[in-house]
Amino acid sequence: MQSANVLLKKIIRCSVLPFAAQHGMNKDLFPLSRTLSLSVCLKQDNSCSPSEKIDLDAWKKVMKSGLQEEVSETVSEPKELSALAAAREILEMWRLAGRSVPENMSDEQLKTFMECPSKSAKKKYLKYLYLKELHKKNDKKKMEEKRERKLATQEQASETDKTKNTSFVCLWASSMDRAYSWRAAQSMVFGQPLVFDMSYENDMSVREVANAVRQLVLSESSNRRSVDPFHIHFCNLKDDSLYRKEFVKHYREAWDKLLITVTDQCYTEIFPKDKLIYLTADSPKVMKTFDHDKVYIIGSMVDKSIKTGVSLARAKRLGLETAALPLEKYLLWNSGAKNLTLDQMMHILLTLKDTGDWKKALEFVPKRKYCGFVSRPVHELKKTLNLINTLKLGKTQQEVQKQFAKNYSKKLTQK
Amino acid sequence: IQPPEKPLKSEEWNRLRENFQSPEVFEEVMLNSMIKNNSPIDVAKSLLTQVAQSNGDIAYNLLVKYLALCVQQGQTAEIQDMYDIMKIRFKTLESGAYSLLIKGLSNSDQWKIALSLLEEVKKIMIPSRTCYESCIKAAGRHQEMSLAFELYHEMLSKDLMPTLDILKALFDFSRGMKDAELQKELFGILLHLRENQIYPHKTFMRSIKLWFESIPGGNWRGHLTNIKDSGQCPVCSHQLEDSDLTEEEYNNLRERIIKDVIHGTDTFRKTSPQEFEAFQTFVENRLPFDIVIDGLNVSHIKLKKMQCENLFDAVNYLAKGNTRVLVLGRKHMLSNSSNWRREIMKEMQNKADFFFAENISEDDAFLLYATLQSGKHCKFVTRDFLRDHKACLTDSLTRHLFRKWQRGHQIVNILCKAEKMFLSVLTQQPAFRYDCVVQTTGDTWHIPYKDIFEEKYSYQVPRKWLCIQRKL
Repeated sequence: MQSANVLLKKIIRCSVLPFAAQHGMNKDLFPLSRTLSLSVCLKQDNSCSPSEKIDLDAWKKVMKSGLQEEVSETVSEPKELSALAAAREILEMWRLAGRSVPENMSDEQLKTFMECPSKSAKKKYLKYLYLKELHKKNDKKKMEEKRERKLATQEQASETDKTKNTSFVCLWASSMDRAYSWRAAQSMVFGQPLVFDMSYENDMSVREVANAVRQLVLSESSNRRSVDPFHIHFCNLKDDSLYRKEFVKHYREAWDKLLITVTDQCYTEIFPKDKLIYLTADSPKVMKTFDHDKVYIIGSMVDKSIKTGVSLARAKRLGLETAALPLEKYLLWNSGAKNLTLDQMMHILLTLKDTGDWKKALEFVPKRKYCGFVSRPVHELKKTLNLINTLKLGKTQQEVQKQFAKNYSKKLTQK
Repeated sequence: IQPPEKPLKSEEWNRLRENFQSPEVFEEVMLNSMIKNNSPIDVAKSLLTQVAQSNGDIAYNLLVKYLALCVQQGQTAEIQDMYDIMKIRFKTLESGAYSLLIKGLSNSDQWKIALSLLEEVKKIMIPSRTCYESCIKAAGRHQEMSLAFELYHEMLSKDLMPTLDILKALFDFSRGMKDAELQKELFGILLHLRENQIYPHKTFMRSIKLWFESIPGGNWRGHLTNIKDSGQCPVCSHQLEDSDLTEEEYNNLRERIIKDVIHGTDTFRKTSPQEFEAFQTFVENRLPFDIVIDGLNVSHIKLKKMQCENLFDAVNYLAKGNTRVLVLGRKHMLSNSSNWRREIMKEMQNKADFFFAENISEDDAFLLYATLQSGKHCKFVTRDFLRDHKACLTDSLTRHLFRKWQRGHQIVNILCKAEKMFLSVLTQQPAFRYDCVVQTTGDTWHIPYKDIFEEKYSYQVPRKWLCIQRKL
């Protein structure tokens, strides 16, 4: 019934209103004339032969006519708007225009949005929120589907068999946790130290710090689950730092119960200098083997803007030995930066510690970054890489290089 | 999808929609394709009519797309109608619709509305350059030059770089006007070009020329010319400004290089304080140099030759007579290897001064420091464009200074093509002796211009000039 009403209203709106206006009909009279006008409308429809011209401006009448009520609504609203409300309104219009704008934004997010220094920064922030919202929505949808499926299978299962005979009480999660904690506690006494250097806060944006902490949380959990965990040290972690705030956000009460060492001291104050090795992709020295007597340091830094040499500079300043992973030696590198995420580093170091096998350890380097492991001489692999590129781009590497050289020298002569 | 050529009826649109793979975005895709194909607006209208009839409303994004189509075709009546609809329908609009309306209305006799829309945009954000462009052009078209210049200055105060089209329009619309204030404003634009090292393109140059020649009683005459390598203008035989920096600029640049490029946020990133200090004393003790060579860069000129031979050729060529040469390198060059033979290195060290930096230090920073420290006559040799070092400079003014200094002092090695087979002879690319920038003496103006609008790399400077002089 309701839909029929809506339909009726629409028909009336688009074809009758102008008619009504012409005849000086009052809006109040409208309900009374509804049946009448509908019949008029129908009659018009019948008279409209296919050869007749289409009314091209009919939509304008609709747009203008549907408004009377809405306008009166908007007028009653208070005229002066706060800056926040105004921003909200613009965002709504952007959303209507089909831009990537999130549906819901908290006041805090809105403030961050307004504080963005440039138009492109604003755009990027909105897109980030929009994608986050989208992912959340999709995840929720997936979870619900999963739950339904689970419920369905459970019902089936409960119908088929009633009880199982097992000698263990089903307490997997908590007993596993206890076992992990026991191992971690042991590592705190006997384990090899692994240092995360938390002194990069000033080199990062707020979002980069948040990402770094997320990676650290992942690293910590994979360490806890390993057979022989490291004794993790978070060094240079100040009490009022952003890192700490983010950690507490992630761990909540568990933060104080973590089986790791957190200190605001520098690693040079805790360990002898000659035992320290700073791991950085910029290091000229390449790591050959994993040394069980050394203390490896990883910089807790996410640098989206590729700030080269920041961690190398830190090691140079303190006069520490540095090392880089032998990525070039073992992998045929394809694309992407050589700096890895903190959790990837953790996986690699844990595997090295357990097995000493570089091939196994470097499995944790993202697959997109390399073409394969170096098993044959490198120049042979380079040939296959060229072949791949030829197939992909339709150009050989040499041609590309030649082209580049040609352009380059041309540029120079033009100058 | 191809939009239809004639307006369709509702049923026909429905049929098309049903055949389309994702019907929910059919209208959007269709309107986009109409904009691309520049379809007649009647077709778009018929689509909107269909939407209005089936939904009772038209979504904002469709309206904006239709508006874009109207603006593209300059349908002023339709744009005004759209303005009315948008105004009653929505309290505020977003930037896309605003700029379309401004662009559309500024071309009609309702151009004042465009101005008021610009005011509205200002309330919520900084308007785009194109919004300003439309308004300035509209004001100019209606001979309201003071309003046009007001908007122009407003742009500058908001850190928006005016498009060349805006500047050209200001010259075009001022043609033939006798107004001292206006003249001052336009000279101001020329100085703006000078300060920001902007080069006008050919049509813009023509507008400038025509404006000068149209000033009543001004007696200005313009000629197109090429400036000689000596920096003399063949038309008026005026000597152009030389490319040297002033004392103040030079010192400023040197300080900024030390502060931003060498030290930056952390001295350890490019070198170490001890190393830099050692280098400083090394340079102080041997000043001044005439040429500073980036050893590693030069050693890669010819790939087939041994690296130290390349460098040897370069040093031999440059270290003639009394020229004092400094070669910068890294310590690994000293270890006897297949590419770096000890005897050759020894021989070279008799002809030139050498400084070897740590293998992980950046030698380019040292190159800049040594050259700047030696004084204005000193030149440096590298094929590197030094873009990453320029990027370290924090403000654009110093970056301009750096570019100007680089133009005058960098020697790019290129091998003579004819002699490539026999000898590796270095030819020095003549560093510019005159400064390639808009310049004036009051009675003359010299304006470099680009032939074509885009075709110029940022490191290239135009060779063609407009010479304008006043016949007294």
